[in-house]
Amino acid sequence: MTNRTLAQALVVFRKELRDWSRDRRSILTAVIGTLFGPLFVAFMFNTLASRQRQVEDVKVPIVGIEHAPALVDWLRQQPGIEIVAGPADPEDAVRTRQEDVVVVIPKEFAERFKASKPAIVRIVADSSSQSTRPKQQRVRGLFQRYNAEIGSLRLMARGVSPVVATPLGIEEVEVSSAQQRAAQILSFIPLFIMMAAFMGAMQIATDSTAGERERGSLEALLVNPAPRSAIATGKWLAGTATSMASVVISGGLLLVIFQSIPLQDLGFRFRLGTPHLVGTLAAVLPLCPFIVAVQMYVATFAKSFKEAQSYLSLLMMVQMLPGFLATMYPITSQNWMYFVPWVGQQVMMTDVLGGKPPTAIVFAAGAVMSMALAAIAVRGTTALLHRERIIFGR
Amino acid sequence: MIRVENLHKRFGNVNAVDGVSFTAADGSVTGLLGPNGAGKTTTLRMLYTLMRPDDGRILVDEVDAVADPEGARRQLGVLPDQSGLYPRLTAREHIHYFGELQGITGRDLADRTNDLVKMLDMTDIVDRRVAGYSHGERTKTALARAIVHNPRNVLLDEPTNGLDVMSTRAVRDIIRRLKAEGHMVLFSSHVMQEVSALCDTIIVIARGRIVASGSPDDLRAQTGHQNLEDAFVTLTGLGEVTSS
Repeated sequence: MTNRTLAQALVVFRKELRDWSRDRRSILTAVIGTLFGPLFVAFMFNTLASRQRQVEDVKVPIVGIEHAPALVDWLRQQPGIEIVAGPADPEDAVRTRQEDVVVVIPKEFAERFKASKPAIVRIVADSSSQSTRPKQQRVRGLFQRYNAEIGSLRLMARGVSPVVATPLGIEEVEVSSAQQRAAQILSFIPLFIMMAAFMGAMQIATDSTAGERERGSLEALLVNPAPRSAIATGKWLAGTATSMASVVISGGLLLVIFQSIPLQDLGFRFRLGTPHLVGTLAAVLPLCPFIVAVQMYVATFAKSFKEAQSYLSLLMMVQMLPGFLATMYPITSQNWMYFVPWVGQQVMMTDVLGGKPPTAIVFAAGAVMSMALAAIAVRGTTALLHRERIIFGR
Repeated sequence: MIRVENLHKRFGNVNAVDGVSFTAADGSVTGLLGPNGAGKTTTLRMLYTLMRPDDGRILVDEVDAVADPEGARRQLGVLPDQSGLYPRLTAREHIHYFGELQGITGRDLADRTNDLVKMLDMTDIVDRRVAGYSHGERTKTALARAIVHNPRNVLLDEPTNGLDVMSTRAVRDIIRRLKAEGHMVLFSSHVMQEVSALCDTIIVIARGRIVASGSPDDLRAQTGHQNLEDAFVTLTGLGEVTSS
């Protein structure tokens, strides 16, 4: 590329960026694409945190507190448990979600308890409600413990070792659901970053190709004594710039969010910091030129902005596939995957976030691969701009 | 100067341009006159190198436009058939964009832009976004960016199509001025009066072929009609002339 051609490419580059920055629709798309991931993650962690708090500090409404003073006293001594008087109609209160769980102690409790018959304690809960399940489990667990304690005391009073009544020593290894959900959220991050890259590129990729055809401005542009390669390159560079900016902002916001969430307090073992961000950017930024180049090539076939957008949304779904599959079937990464653009970057990001970043050579290979393919796609677009059917077909 | 020899272009079974030859000299205005679909736009598209002729030769100031399209475009200023603008840019930015693509920068570009703005009477609108422009203002903007580099040869495809009186006058003034400065101006039109008012040479084209060419007086003499419009109808074979 000669100096003159390069200068012309830069003229096109500046014009496209200026045009883009004045388009409210394009700014909106970019902002949505950029902020979606960080906002989603912030929301998810916030939900997790509030559920965690739900289990830590539990308010238990009890109907019939006066029927079992000893039991209620014991409950009050448990850490994080507060006992309040229950509603008049417990079942209705739970059904209408006014209460997550209500405990009902019937009148005959004391009588049956004294007679060493099973004294009924009714736990009213809605098991179809996902969000209150941890609280229900907590309450249920309380009563099971009380049950076991009193059982042991009664056996001892009768001169029998409580051990006799526990033939099994059950040990539970707690893999808390919160931990799992956190891992799931993490597996979404590559997807969000890719989305930021894609949506950040989309506006210029369509507006500078199909949009140019739709407005009828392409013919006048191509009459300038600039080679088609300069024009295609300038547009491609502009799209690459917005795509990369989108990725950097999205990644930066994710970092801020992860650093402001007290992950340790939530019981998560992982930490995400600057090295993870750097690794993610190193994986994804070199992919941006490729994404833009492919989008531009596809959009050049379209006669209008709308047509281009429908092509690109199909493209987007195709590109999302590997990411979705990866979240559903966590496959072990194979070596060849690193060299497939789009797939490779997701694998690299997963490795980076998992604390096992690939070597610099893998990063470089992925970058070289996507740059090479980007160059081919830009050449393809340049060739399209020579076709009379593309220039004049409206 | 532009020299065209035996130009051919086919679309499927249609001979859009079928053996067109002519010369358009510097310091003169040449009109390409013909009904819609006669091959005017196709001819011009081949001249400004976005369409490749199937056969024939085009010389733009001795540059072979088929062999060196970019070199030819450097000698050309073009108002093409489709002169869409960028709605979010101002007229000044349009002129600057094309000027920079031509390699003009800085002071030169600013001065040239101001000259064009004055010439086309666009001072009030030049820094407004194009989105709100009238058709005439759009055409002026497209014309200004087309000749920002002061090209020797100017090609205009139906420049006054759909313009109001004032804009039409502005375009005609520009054409006369370019001629006076020694440029070659070639423009297409299907409006008789326009061509007769401006052109030194008229090339009448119908069904892809040149059916007559010469000065307005030549054409009157050739056809025996005093009225140029009658001459046009006779030449293009569009119908019988009953008047005159």
